[in-house]
Amino acid sequence: MNVGVCYAEADRQTWLRLEVPDDSTVQQAIELSGLLAQYPHIDLGKQKVGIFGKLAKLDAPVREGDRVEIYRPITADPNQVKRRRIDG
Amino acid sequence: MIDQINSLLPQTQCGKCGYRGCLPYAEAIAAGKADINRCPPGGEEGIQALADLLGVLPKPLDSACGEHKPRAVATIIEEDCIGCAKCLAACPVDAIIGAAKQMHTVIASECTGCELCIAPCPVDCIEMREIPAESPVLAKRLKPLRAELARSRYELRGLRLAREEAEKAARAREKKAALLLKMQATAKP
Repeated sequence: MNVGVCYAEADRQTWLRLEVPDDSTVQQAIELSGLLAQYPHIDLGKQKVGIFGKLAKLDAPVREGDRVEIYRPITADPNQVKRRRIDG
Repeated sequence: MIDQINSLLPQTQCGKCGYRGCLPYAEAIAAGKADINRCPPGGEEGIQALADLLGVLPKPLDSACGEHKPRAVATIIEEDCIGCAKCLAACPVDAIIGAAKQMHTVIASECTGCELCIAPCPVDCIEMREIPAESPVLAKRLKPLRAELARSRYELRGLRLAREEAEKAARAREKKAALLLKMQATAKP
């Protein structure tokens, strides 16, 4: 089946399309995509992954058309950012 | 005819015409319900193309819909992003990657510049950045390719959202059926 694997940084974004075996997991799709070779600093032990904006486990199954995504943590403190906006 | 009209629209899916996307606008034009000058991203060139297809006279862009601007893509100011996921829901072509409490990033090559992600952001951390202009020859070649890519991703997103909705409804039905069975079982003497 066809899936996508996507990772994005501020100045470089990659969305790969590939064919994977029907019973593949999120982790297998990532490994098969070769994305980790392009971004060797990705740490799947620390960085969260998901499918189309929803967090998923590495061993979750992928389905036809899914976009597997590797995320980066936010750097802002949500309370600080919100307050700053109210302050103007 | 709808397809022909739609193929002349930029597939930005911005809704500036007052319709939910390029296809609904194309349908409205075909039905004679909408004028041909309501697409700011398409600009004068787009209006001329629609006029030629429909055999009518072109007219200036309706300024109530917005103005024609140079191509730009959305960019997220990372130090302010709180990972709220509101922009993900707003993007008509899945050009933003992110999840709750994770950094959101615009995939620049996929962004149609529709600006729909700007307003929902509660911390105003998305801004439009102009793209350096391409040579006219290159721009002419890339335009239909970009439109085709955006159209297909818009359609795929629509199919995906419909599938998610159907699955949600199916789960709710199952839950209700299970609950009914349980109630019947306990109601028996």
